[in-house]
Amino acid sequence: MRLLHRWSLWALALGAIIAAIGPYFFKTSPEEAVAPPFVKPVWLAKDAPPSLHLTITEEHLERRFLWEYEPPLRFSLKGAMRFEVPPEVAQIVWQTPKGTMVLYDASKKAESRIDLDARDVSFKLALGLSPFQNPMPHLFPATGEYALRLESSEPPAEISLALQVPGSRWGLLGTDQRGRDVFHLFILGIRVSLLVGLSATFIATALGLAFGLSSGYFGGIIDAVIMRAVDVLLSVPTLPIMIVLAGLWGKGLFNLILILSAFSWMSTARTVRSMTLSLREAPFVEGLRALGAPSSYILWRHLLPEALPLLLANIALGVPGAVLAEAGLSFLGLSDPRLVSWGRMLHEAHAFGAFTSGAWWLILPPGFGIAGLCLVFLDLGRHLEEILDPRLRRKAL
Amino acid sequence: MALKAYWGRRIASSLLVLAVVLVLNFFLFRILPGDPVSAIIDPRFSPQAKEELAALFGLDRPMGEQFLLYVKQMLTFNFGVSFLSQRPVWDEIRSRLPNTLILLSSAMAISALLGIYLGVIAAAKRGGFIERLVLWAGAISFSFPSFFIQLVMLLLFAFAMPIFPLRGSVSIPPPPPGWPAMIDYIWHMVLPVSSLVILGFGSWALYVRNLMVKVLGEDFVFLARAKGLPQRLILWRHAFRSILPPIVTIIFLSLPGVVSGAVITETVFSLHGVGRFLLESVTGQDYPAAGAAFFLLALLTVACNLLADLAYGFVDPRIGLERKMER
Amino acid sequence: MLAKRFLRSVVFATCGIAIFVAAACGVDVDAIRGPKIEELYLVIIRDPDAQLLALEKGQIDLLSDITRPVDIERLASNEELSLSLAQGFHAFFLGFNIRKAPWDRVELRRAIWQAIPRNQLVRDIFSGYSAPLSTFLPPASPYCAEDLEAPPYDLGSARRTLQEAGWRYSNGFLVPPGEDLPLKPMKILSPTAQVAPTTAELAQRITASLRELGLPMDVEPVDFSTLIARLDEHAFDSYVLAWQLSRDPDSLYAFFHSSMDVKGGYNICGIHDDELDAALEALRWAPDEEDARLAARRAQKLLSEKVPMVPIYSRYFVTALRKEWKGAVTTRIATADNVWSLLAMEPEGKMRPFYWCLPEEPRNLNPFTASSAYDWQVLGLIYDTLLTADPETLEDLPWLARDWKVETVSSGDGQVTRLSFILRDDVLWQDGEPFTAKDVAATISFLKEHRVPRFWDAVSDVEAVTVKGNHEITITMKNTSYWHLHQIGGLPILPAWQLASLESWQIWQPIRMIHPQKRNLTMLVGTGPFVFSEYRQGEYVRLVRNDLFWLMSR
Repeated sequence: MRLLHRWSLWALALGAIIAAIGPYFFKTSPEEAVAPPFVKPVWLAKDAPPSLHLTITEEHLERRFLWEYEPPLRFSLKGAMRFEVPPEVAQIVWQTPKGTMVLYDASKKAESRIDLDARDVSFKLALGLSPFQNPMPHLFPATGEYALRLESSEPPAEISLALQVPGSRWGLLGTDQRGRDVFHLFILGIRVSLLVGLSATFIATALGLAFGLSSGYFGGIIDAVIMRAVDVLLSVPTLPIMIVLAGLWGKGLFNLILILSAFSWMSTARTVRSMTLSLREAPFVEGLRALGAPSSYILWRHLLPEALPLLLANIALGVPGAVLAEAGLSFLGLSDPRLVSWGRMLHEAHAFGAFTSGAWWLILPPGFGIAGLCLVFLDLGRHLEEILDPRLRRKAL
Repeated sequence: MALKAYWGRRIASSLLVLAVVLVLNFFLFRILPGDPVSAIIDPRFSPQAKEELAALFGLDRPMGEQFLLYVKQMLTFNFGVSFLSQRPVWDEIRSRLPNTLILLSSAMAISALLGIYLGVIAAAKRGGFIERLVLWAGAISFSFPSFFIQLVMLLLFAFAMPIFPLRGSVSIPPPPPGWPAMIDYIWHMVLPVSSLVILGFGSWALYVRNLMVKVLGEDFVFLARAKGLPQRLILWRHAFRSILPPIVTIIFLSLPGVVSGAVITETVFSLHGVGRFLLESVTGQDYPAAGAAFFLLALLTVACNLLADLAYGFVDPRIGLERKMER
Repeated sequence: MLAKRFLRSVVFATCGIAIFVAAACGVDVDAIRGPKIEELYLVIIRDPDAQLLALEKGQIDLLSDITRPVDIERLASNEELSLSLAQGFHAFFLGFNIRKAPWDRVELRRAIWQAIPRNQLVRDIFSGYSAPLSTFLPPASPYCAEDLEAPPYDLGSARRTLQEAGWRYSNGFLVPPGEDLPLKPMKILSPTAQVAPTTAELAQRITASLRELGLPMDVEPVDFSTLIARLDEHAFDSYVLAWQLSRDPDSLYAFFHSSMDVKGGYNICGIHDDELDAALEALRWAPDEEDARLAARRAQKLLSEKVPMVPIYSRYFVTALRKEWKGAVTTRIATADNVWSLLAMEPEGKMRPFYWCLPEEPRNLNPFTASSAYDWQVLGLIYDTLLTADPETLEDLPWLARDWKVETVSSGDGQVTRLSFILRDDVLWQDGEPFTAKDVAATISFLKEHRVPRFWDAVSDVEAVTVKGNHEITITMKNTSYWHLHQIGGLPILPAWQLASLESWQIWQPIRMIHPQKRNLTMLVGTGPFVFSEYRQGEYVRLVRNDLFWLMSR
């Protein structure tokens, strides 16, 4: 029970708890865009503007507000209006402390649907900007009083317009390229990474154990076949073959686990086999055999317990391999895009330019998450090894 | 004579493995859905033109004939013509080999030497600060995803502080041949190699430290200490020597595996290498190229396995036949 | 400054999402002489991050086709760079398997067209750097019928369309008319992120809008090759796929004619419609431009009624150029990376090499088998074609051919198209030999005789080639089609003497063979503005100016 004193065990327990219940603390779906893409965390961008929502209706044809922040990141105006007869003049006007501009001209149109967004190239052109210019400093040139209003020669029969200026900061870790909450994704990522790491290693170990035991104990043709299979699998390059299999079997969570485990049982099988070989020749096993014990009994009662502790350490040390392999596959874009794992998050951060744009809040959490998970398991594995192998515990020279 | 029989069996089973890989390769790529011709999606390319292309690739011939041709090509090391580039596969591989070989061998050599040295030192200073440092450094080096470290290094040392080049293995325009070209090449390889060293030394350090710690508890070390031999001598002459065989074996056995690691490194640092080639030929369903690359890798693995055996006996002649028979 | 010049010409856009119109920036391509660049390096950089960093560090001068919005925003604020934006020939469609229910119902397809918020998708996924697409041809195509009414996004109206046709809702899911049970769960096939990271995102967003309409859809991300195989086997409900289309409307025939619903054909949706077939045949075999235009319009009108696919968006093409290079030609359909720019550009101050990013390895630089756009990014600078397209209007412009004629003539039992070209008489091959009609004839005959797959569609209908004197050539086709002009006019022309002695074109490696007379040349000899000098695999392709080029001011 020395293990209880290790930090890694507690860290793992904490991780497992977060993975299990963490996602339930979020009200929204992780797929939902909660803020503009690539916004900074709240604690980092204290001066970033908050959200602003205004509506224009028949009763309120003008809205005024005070803006005391830097320009926001997004600006959108949506809605519709209708006149009884096409008006001579009808303009939606945006008044800033530095002047006014026409956002939309509905003159001589009985009905208009308005769908403006500052990201549209047509909107930028209409404001007299180049397609590459950021229109926000143009729309919010200074702090002070702003107004949005309809200027028309006659009152509209119906009007409903909504101005949306979403805030430029979000949550603990900001947002990703789709405006999703990175913290939420990060918490979800623990789940997949843990699940993939643990189950792939468990399955691989079970396979290795089964093949190793039977190969070592039965020998002969079984041994030859299994060992040649091991040789074959060891001599095909792992990453490309995983790509082939992913193409063949699909890329879901379980397929991924299967693929990862199918290529990591070989060394366990070899170790278990050589262990079995030496045990088989041990006097007590020979004695049992002489007494007529069936091989299943000998395998189950004596060989398995001998091999198990070794396997436990093997599992702990194998998880980092599986977690990293998953990250590698995801990096190359070979995982299911719906599966939020830390590897996937890194892939998306990379694919959408977070590395070059310096959006570190997208990169560091999953990167350190993967590394942390691996460290936890490495530490656990090392201590299991020390417990099992007293020689590793001995003091220095 | 038992030795001869042993090697006979080893070689026979290696050949068997190669044969199985050879056959598997052929079917592995062909059972994948789709084929290189149908992967062309260009509305200006008519079904008739696609048929002509399939004929050019030899995909219109019966499977049996394709298989025989494939086996013949592999066995004669004339790997045919790549679908994607329409150039001999061997030319393609040859042009990419130097970068990959230099990258992997230097990274492997440096990280193994560094890792072994740190591992031995850590084991010698059990419980001390140095050991903790090595254990942590080793674990951390092992724990980060390779592309993460590599991209961060690229950003830091090629962009933010442009000490090293951003891409490739040669400056453009290229420097004059001779020393300037050589120095230019080394300058280009510093980042990729050092990133692989950072990523790779950890597992060596941890592994060697474990082996050393076990060995340092053995009787012969106590004996040596009792004799009053100096610490360095005990550490390197006696203890380290006794763990050399497994280390040498591991070096050989890990060689084929590092090729997979080259895929991501070559992607990040825009290197023209075999790793990318492997990936591209698999995803592009370039049967001849992928088949050849897989076959060559299998050959490398089998050769490394045999070499590992050979080296084991060479480094430690005491461990003779009986240990080998067991494997 | 490019952006300013761009601005001056902007036609004020009034409606919400206007089709983005920019008039020409007044470049007279006829007056361009060049090339002025003496040394051109195509630098191979695959990784988009590395491309961007290299551009910012001045290691490349020109980066084409920047796709990530963050990169565009970042580069736009860089004072050393000028960006240009053009409507491209890219088109992204949502397709259905019309062979089976419920996709065989046109009202469902129409409702889907209305239920996908294309404007919002383009904003959210591309930050506005794409155009919502509502036509079946790319907007840059001169044959695109942009004025055809496309239904705007309106979920309510989409629901009403369905309900009027007898559909009803049960627990939020649609029940087809005359049936008791709601639709069964279905999939949208989408290629995985490896090909294009945005495709997977788009597929998810599209799925979400279809679910809102009441269709029980899910995304199924699959490998590209698996996707194609599934489409080939008709084992799919619907799919999303991006296409690179062209100036001519030939994609319409390939996508929607019933004869193309065969293995290897592109009628993936499986539409068989007599009315549409007739229109597409009229388009394909149109004898002249006038008829072609009418037929293209008619086909697009029918398509917008029958909606066999739903157009989603078309990517803008964005290119960044370092500002010290002057004279680049940009229009609403061409960014700075066109051949006119490469002829006209020169640096501020002293001449220096020009570095252009090549995002993939050119695979072999053999004009017969080179299939990738990256191969042709290089080969296109070495080989010339008979005709070229105007960078503003996309109309045919003279290139190697000074003048041309398309006629319909009687031949035996029917009408056939006859193309006549009058070639320039001042063109020299890069080895100094004069370019003549014999070269053109030899190229066409070689391609036809050896059934070179890449050019098979262009030459398979050639009946006879007649050479008159040194600079006149007449090509008689087996049938009538205006498009033969563009097919033949777009062939790269190779020197006749090479073709005469060329044995195995399949594995020809011209860049590895030294020219028999000119030892400083390889066998890659064209008439184009640049001469091949060196290809260092994985690193760069080096080209030098062709001092014999016919547009050089002599």
